[in-house]
Amino acid sequence: MSHVLGQVEDLREQCREALAKIGSLAALQEERVRFLGKKGEITRLLRTLGTLSPEERPLVGSTVNELRDEMEMAFDAAKMRLEVLEAEKEEERGRLDVTLPCRGRGWGSFHPVVQVMHEVIDVFMGLGYSVALGPEIEDDFHNFEALNIPSYHPARDMQDTFYVEGNRLLRTHTSPVQVRSMLRWGAPLRIICPGKVFRRDSDPTHSPMFHQLEGLLVDREVSIADLKGSLEAFAKAMFGPEVKARYRASYFPFTEPSMEMDVSCVACGGKNPSCRICKGSGWLEISGLGMVHPNVLRAGGIDPTVYNGFAWGMGLDRIALLKYDVRDLRFFFDGDVTFLSRGGMR
Amino acid sequence: MLVSLNWLKELIRLPAGVDEIARRLTMTGCEVEEIRHPGEKLRDIFIGRVLSLEPHPTREGLQVTRVDYGRGQKTCTTAAPNVAVGKLFPYAPPGGVLADGTVLGVRDFDGVLSEGMLLSAEELGIPDVEVEFGLLALPEDAPQGEDCIAWLGLDDVILDLSITPNRGDLLSLVGIARELYGILPGTELLPPEAPALPEGPWPIPFEGITLEDEGCPAYSLGLIRNVRIGPSPVRARVRVSLCGMRPISNVVDATNLAMLFWGQPLHAFDLDRLPARHITVRAARKGETITTLDGKERVLEEEDLLITSGGVAVGLAGVMGGANSEISDDTATVVLEGASFDRVRIGRTSRRMGLHSEAAFRYARGVDRTKALPALAMAMAYMRDFAGGELCGAPLVAGDPREPHRTASLRASTLRTYLMSADMAKASATLERFGFSEVRERREEAARTFAVPASRLDVSIEEDLVEEVARVEGYDTVPARIPPHLYASASLTTLMTALRRLRESAMGRGFVEMITYSFVGPEDLRILRFPEGDRRGNPIAVVNPIAADQSVMRTSLLPGLIKALLRNLRGGFRGPIRMFEQGKVFLRTDDIASSGEEHEEPFYLGGIVFPGRDRRFADDEDFFSVKADVVALCEACAVRPEFVQGEEPFGHKGRTARIRINGKDAGYLLALKPLIGGALDLDAPLYAFEIDLESLVGQVSYQFTEPMRYPAIYRDVSLLVPKGTPAAVVEAEMRRLAGDFLWDVRLFDVYEGEVIPEGYRSLAFSVAYRSAERTLSDEEIEGSHGALRSGLAAGGYALR
Ligand SMILES: [Zn+2]
Repeated sequence: MSHVLGQVEDLREQCREALAKIGSLAALQEERVRFLGKKGEITRLLRTLGTLSPEERPLVGSTVNELRDEMEMAFDAAKMRLEVLEAEKEEERGRLDVTLPCRGRGWGSFHPVVQVMHEVIDVFMGLGYSVALGPEIEDDFHNFEALNIPSYHPARDMQDTFYVEGNRLLRTHTSPVQVRSMLRWGAPLRIICPGKVFRRDSDPTHSPMFHQLEGLLVDREVSIADLKGSLEAFAKAMFGPEVKARYRASYFPFTEPSMEMDVSCVACGGKNPSCRICKGSGWLEISGLGMVHPNVLRAGGIDPTVYNGFAWGMGLDRIALLKYDVRDLRFFFDGDVTFLSRGGMR
Repeated sequence: MLVSLNWLKELIRLPAGVDEIARRLTMTGCEVEEIRHPGEKLRDIFIGRVLSLEPHPTREGLQVTRVDYGRGQKTCTTAAPNVAVGKLFPYAPPGGVLADGTVLGVRDFDGVLSEGMLLSAEELGIPDVEVEFGLLALPEDAPQGEDCIAWLGLDDVILDLSITPNRGDLLSLVGIARELYGILPGTELLPPEAPALPEGPWPIPFEGITLEDEGCPAYSLGLIRNVRIGPSPVRARVRVSLCGMRPISNVVDATNLAMLFWGQPLHAFDLDRLPARHITVRAARKGETITTLDGKERVLEEEDLLITSGGVAVGLAGVMGGANSEISDDTATVVLEGASFDRVRIGRTSRRMGLHSEAAFRYARGVDRTKALPALAMAMAYMRDFAGGELCGAPLVAGDPREPHRTASLRASTLRTYLMSADMAKASATLERFGFSEVRERREEAARTFAVPASRLDVSIEEDLVEEVARVEGYDTVPARIPPHLYASASLTTLMTALRRLRESAMGRGFVEMITYSFVGPEDLRILRFPEGDRRGNPIAVVNPIAADQSVMRTSLLPGLIKALLRNLRGGFRGPIRMFEQGKVFLRTDDIASSGEEHEEPFYLGGIVFPGRDRRFADDEDFFSVKADVVALCEACAVRPEFVQGEEPFGHKGRTARIRINGKDAGYLLALKPLIGGALDLDAPLYAFEIDLESLVGQVSYQFTEPMRYPAIYRDVSLLVPKGTPAAVVEAEMRRLAGDFLWDVRLFDVYEGEVIPEGYRSLAFSVAYRSAERTLSDEEIEGSHGALRSGLAAGGYALR
């Protein structure tokens, strides 16, 4: 009996060694046949049971059967392991260079000025300002007369105007939308007017076409405090919570009092005397603003003894220049794809 | 406006340094653009006297001088022709520094050691004051040995101020002095040293002044005899030059200095050249002409004011004098005009003629009437001092040289509304420093009335007073608050909503957002071959363009996009290019009578797709890939477009589609006409589309149907179709024939080739049948599909 049990132990050891060496499914099958096949080692061992006494047979028989079950489980496990290995070898052969370029279209790109326009719109919409739009070919009344700039007014020299056929002009600012909106909606009113404007001017800081956003609020007992609140909320949203604002007295024919808002330099925070952006002043001119002149309210059909209001105008292109650190305004309108996609296209 | 701080100090005592003054001016509305230090680099320059002069032993043209400059004597050489013994010149010893930064030393000129230099105006940085070639000659009364930089006034600081058009009063030294007194606490006004006007009658016959037009409410004339025209004294020339004007002659410099000081333009006539001893101010007659002293003949309108003498125009009032009566080198008797003119009239005339003289610039911004006589007095005194003129007789005055009395009121409630606080006592104090005076007899506790100073022509309403108070107090002291009272939720407008959806979608599909100019060149439009009668070929012209390629308003977005494309290609860009733009185009109205508008400016969406110059990187773009873009963009706006075969003058004959939205033409999708592409050197097809946004804006929102619970059953149909029949027509026919269970029809193959008869193509469709209520039975499906097939066959289609 011990002689057979000894063979069982040998066989277990042989099988373990064989399994440890197997590297492929084919080899596994061969070994399986060798141990578990019809003419395999287990069968051979079972045949030797006949040589044992009837008392020994059950014990040895069940030991051999246990070995067979054990072997089958080991072979199954080995098979699963090898199948995974083989599949992964196949995957390995299918390895890709993931650094190869994309196929198909990538994302396009936004235009900085349009992007800024929509961002500014969102800020002011959050403060309750509705969008109003108006024509780009305007008449003298809406662009000048109604804004308290009669034809002889020296302020007309401040804005060099393009005229088009039919005694009309390309609006020099978005302010005519103020008048159109007052005439259309009356008071109270809270609007912003984004859009293109045109002036006969072209150099690195001036383009004959550029973009403004005008704001207008008309109500009873409006304060400069309301104007400051609106614009400072904008400045913080656009340039960060730490940005500071200051106000200088100024002059526009359509506001009284008039002022200009500067924000602390977004590039140097006022700490770099040789800063390219603020030229060392620490401040950036961002908006012209003021309380709506009574003459303008009247032109808009609103009674200035009942209502007052404020208005401001800001250059969106300039904000885009600052926000995206672009050097020359004219880059915006050249249509250079490499520039507009921020160097991202081929 | 250039302001000399040295000169200003004759009027006020300033409590702060120049940087603080500049900051304060800027914050209160008078922006300081630059602080100039004209003599900044100059060092060690003295008033030197030439003691002796001898020719250089070897060098021709060079003279050796001995100079006494107060701290000793030096030898130096000069080639200047105007050097002379006994004369005074600026002298810089070794160590002295010139305006360009040159440090002087000792130089050896063939054995003669030259120590330092005698200087010219140019070397002092004031080339304008030169009156003769050579050294800057100083007058005999110049203090020999003194610091020449200070004596000439080159130690001055000049403020370059940007004066807003409402503040004509600040175009003068007296105005700036008053402004500084108002904005800078601690400033003291110094007692004025105004020269007195001469008195008595004129010693020569003069008939007088007639004012015929209310555009000239006051007109004064001063008389100066026996002037000798020549250069002004050197220090006057330096002052004129530092204030930004060119020294001309003693008489002209005198009028300019008085104008700079008082803000009052003056004009000098040569009495002997006046056609009559009489002046009449009247409106010009239409078509009348005058030759102004710049030599140009000007054709006049009735709005122009004219100075005439003996019926002859001698000056374009307030703008420029006439050539016939101007001062010349042999002028002996000057009549000096100090007049008040209507700012509107002068502004119109100068704008119309494009003549922005110093005088017109000031008149158009407002010169108050009270300045004329003091300015005359000052200029006449200068003419006496500079040109030896004899002042004889009081100026003749016509009209009223006083400014009408004006008042403005300020209520505490207004102040409180605007600034959130109201300190009326402080407001009064502020206004009084600007020269306003409270009208006490009309005083109420909460409302005060002020007499407006004559010079403050910009102040008339309450808001003007608020501004005066607020700008001194500083806007930074006003609190900030978010405006209360929302009346309604803010609206983005349907157009903006559509613009946003479209740009996000286009960018997601690989398009780069563009902004091109709203104006293009006529050539850019001509490329597109618009036929006669197509309004896109007849753009609205810009009357005063800055460049020919920006001279008409765009009628299509395509020219701008093509221009941008070509610029990229010329710049060597080789990859695929997809661009889009949203913007207005400008079209003449078809029927002005019915719309009442001469033009319309619809918002368009335009795009172009170019596969790319380098084929190795080219994207697989064709008509249908771009069609997919157009469909996606429309669907982003809840719109399903239809495409029909169509035409555009710039479109490929066989590859142009009209885009129809809700049954209306909304634009085009096309491959650019190959002839045009060829002419533009495009070596691959260019696809373009343009859609009028009106058809995409404000469409009803998306609609959903219930999910389908039962499966669809698919059948294929393949049929021969004449080539001229669009697939969409066949598809529509199939939808009509297939019955109620039809759920979808989808084209999956188009084939032309050997087995297909000439003139035909094979179209293969997948047809889906489906019911919302149940799984369809085979009989139902076969019934529907059979009906479809027999219907198609009956319709003349050959089924395959
Ligand atoms: Zn900076």
